[in-house]
Amino acid sequence: MPLNKAVFGRAMLLLTAVGFAALLGLGAGLVWLVDEARGYATGVAATQEVRVKLSQALSLLQDAETGQRGYLLTGQEQYLGPYQDATTALPKVLPLLAEQVIRDGGRPGPVQALQDLAERKLAELRETLALAEAGDREAAINRVRRGEGKEVMDSIRETLAGIESRSTTRLAERSQGLHRSSRALLLGAAGALGLVAIVAVGSAGLAFRYAGDLERARLEVEAANAGLEERVAERTALLQAANEEVQRFAYIVSHDLRAPLVNVMGFTAELEVAVAALDALLREAEAEAPHLVTDAAREAVTADIPEAIGFIRSSTERMDRLISAILRLSREGRRALAPEPVAMGALIAGIADSLRHQLAEAGAELTIEGSLPDIVTDRTALEQIFGNLIDNAVKYLDPARPGRITVTGRAARGLASFDVADNGRGIAPRDHGRIFELFRRSGAQDRPGEGIGLAHVRALARRLGGNVECDSTPGQGSVFRVTLPLAPLPSFGENTA
Amino acid sequence: MNTAAHAVTIVMIEDDEGHARLIEKNLKRAGLFNEVRHFASGTAALHHLLGPGRKQHRPLLVLLDLNLPDMSGTEILTQLKDDPELRLAPVIVLTTTDDEREIRRCYDLGCNVYITKPVNYETFAQAVRQLGLFLAVIQVPPAP
Repeated sequence: MPLNKAVFGRAMLLLTAVGFAALLGLGAGLVWLVDEARGYATGVAATQEVRVKLSQALSLLQDAETGQRGYLLTGQEQYLGPYQDATTALPKVLPLLAEQVIRDGGRPGPVQALQDLAERKLAELRETLALAEAGDREAAINRVRRGEGKEVMDSIRETLAGIESRSTTRLAERSQGLHRSSRALLLGAAGALGLVAIVAVGSAGLAFRYAGDLERARLEVEAANAGLEERVAERTALLQAANEEVQRFAYIVSHDLRAPLVNVMGFTAELEVAVAALDALLREAEAEAPHLVTDAAREAVTADIPEAIGFIRSSTERMDRLISAILRLSREGRRALAPEPVAMGALIAGIADSLRHQLAEAGAELTIEGSLPDIVTDRTALEQIFGNLIDNAVKYLDPARPGRITVTGRAARGLASFDVADNGRGIAPRDHGRIFELFRRSGAQDRPGEGIGLAHVRALARRLGGNVECDSTPGQGSVFRVTLPLAPLPSFGENTA
Repeated sequence: MNTAAHAVTIVMIEDDEGHARLIEKNLKRAGLFNEVRHFASGTAALHHLLGPGRKQHRPLLVLLDLNLPDMSGTEILTQLKDDPELRLAPVIVLTTTDDEREIRRCYDLGCNVYITKPVNYETFAQAVRQLGLFLAVIQVPPAP
């Protein structure tokens, strides 16, 4: 699937989001693990504390028992020192131990049991010592011998061992938990890093592919452009060649058509000379021998031959004008155009000035309405275009009303358009296209002309890169609109006639 | 009319028989009775003028049509003007075209007079008659 910009953007966003989420997860995991480790460290310290307190309690109880045994054996007061120290220390140590066990996560039960047992032991010690102090050492030793104190002491040892072993178990459990979490985190981190790596590789790949697609698309566009330019150049060259061919053809044809015409005209004149001689002969014959002159001979020499010569002459003259027109068009098509800035107002005013005589004769008036946009193009061609259009407007006015010819212009989007509008006789809609063809004319044929002017105007307008159109209502007037580029196009001056 | 002009032979190079005939007739009407040698092709004319059998030291005037079937008139003009002897002979170009570039080209190549064959016969006849007068007054350079 080729990547478009939107798909690429979405994919990149998604990949970035995934990578970011993985990193976020990894960070959260780390925070969690640090917290776990801290909990573990606290646990280790608590266990250690419990152990210390346990051995302290045991050693105090043993000290108390050792003091009691020493006093009972010797009767000397100095052996009571450890006992007395222990009895003062124990009430402080045992609550601390309880507190510690609770903090370590242990049950209060066994510690309570331990406290009870310690009290029982201390009570037993107190009683035996009291008996001994009263002087009844025998009773005190008997009491010890009964083994009640030993039993209590054994229970104490068991309870202490139980508390310690449970604390150790808890520590082991915690340690295992920490191990598991760190392993899980390690796996999670590895996963996240893997994901990040995949995302990185994926987005790099995606970007690479996208860049590749872009590059390929650019190359394609470039190739297409190059091909297009080439094709345009080819077509232009072909068109130019075809146009040149047409121009050359028109030129050669008009030359070659003229040569026989010279003969037709020349020998027609020779005929006239000959007829003149015949005419003289006829007059002489009529004067001297009228019976020789037949009506047919007279008719032929005085009427038929001159009439025939007249038709031949007018036809050849007309044909010569047509050929000259073709020749002129062909020559105009080959003329090199020289673009220059042209002040349109002045140009139209100049044309109006040169037609002043015709305008006055027709009782017509030419006005330029508003200001006309100035353009850069071939001045001579422009003069011919507008000269022809205005000349036509003057030529085909309606005698029923005073002639009004107006020229307006505007510029938009690189094009200038000029309207030459008249209130003349107008042109039938079916002729709007036809009048631009060579030798075609419209309406009443009461004015001199060969049907060349508008064909010439259109050829020129197209050569300048523009066009000319006609809009007209018979009996109301005509508008000829010339559209031209404001500045010459790159193909300026190529033959498009 | 000076005698030098009478001795001039007119070489007419014109493929159109009708044109040739009309030119001859009008030259005669203008009172010019020089020998006129007519060639319908450039090849024949050049053979006569430059070929092995050419006559030396003879004053010549060339009437040249530009549209010939076998070669262009300008080609003939170039060859005449390249010849050390013939380049002195006056050349009058007679053709149907009034194209300015073509006219200038002929003058550049050394043509003396350029006459357009107008279809209007009076103009044409007048042009040819004027040519006759022209021939009567010009001093055709004597052969070296």
